[in-house]
Amino acid sequence: MSQVKIPNVKIAVIDGDIMVRDFVTTVLMYCVNRDVMSFDNGMSAWRYIESTGSPDIVISEIDVAGLNGFELLAKFKEKHPGKKCLLMSANPDDEQSARDSGADAFLAKPVSINDLFGVVENFIV
Amino acid sequence: MLRMGPPPGEIRSMSILDIFGSRLKLLIIMAKAYLKRCPMGKFRKQAIIENARSVFYHSLQAANETATIRDFDLKTQAGIDFTGDIHEEHLFHQRVQLLAVMATAMAEGRPFGHFREKALNDNLDRICETLIFNFNVNNANFLKVA
Repeated sequence: MSQVKIPNVKIAVIDGDIMVRDFVTTVLMYCVNRDVMSFDNGMSAWRYIESTGSPDIVISEIDVAGLNGFELLAKFKEKHPGKKCLLMSANPDDEQSARDSGADAFLAKPVSINDLFGVVENFIV
Repeated sequence: MLRMGPPPGEIRSMSILDIFGSRLKLLIIMAKAYLKRCPMGKFRKQAIIENARSVFYHSLQAANETATIRDFDLKTQAGIDFTGDIHEEHLFHQRVQLLAVMATAMAEGRPFGHFREKALNDNLDRICETLIFNFNVNNANFLKVA
């Protein structure tokens, strides 16, 4: 049996596409058996992170309204350097920028079930 | 930095078909995990119900589109002729919709006897055959904890 890396993990998912956002949220909610917060733009996610409570893992699409994925990553890492921020994108050019900006993982779209299971296995359980 | 997903040449936005296919595979994994007696907490049950609802809706929509094409002898925009596979496609969607109903019942804690479990297993096998999809629940350790 594997060891839980982050007990009672709190996850936030940010994507402007409701179909993708709901899909990623459902997979993660099922895997970790915890509620998963979801937002359609970076600014709402940042307001949540600042006010209510900080998620252990943020999974954000790069191309979102308000704060984009890179801006959210920079703010989140500045406030919580030890926590994880993963970026998703449908643009191959974003991969190097994600690496340069200090993302913990880059999820290229289309995201598969195995990719999301990989997130859980690498960062949570 | 960890990298996941397709190689750079295959990166693209997710289509409705991508989401439907992925959600269907997730539903299959959920049902297999249930049959393997993996623990189900409150949020897992909620995720199963939401996923089953989404798969059912999209399958119903796809089945209706197929029926419309058949009934009115329409051609798709791509000019693909469905006549050969239309019966199989219809049956596949009926099986997918049945799986969604079964998954909802298991998440709601409805009683599952020997024959219901057998029916669920058989239905999973037939859908996996069509999808050419195989997943071993034993390889996903996180499913064994709730």
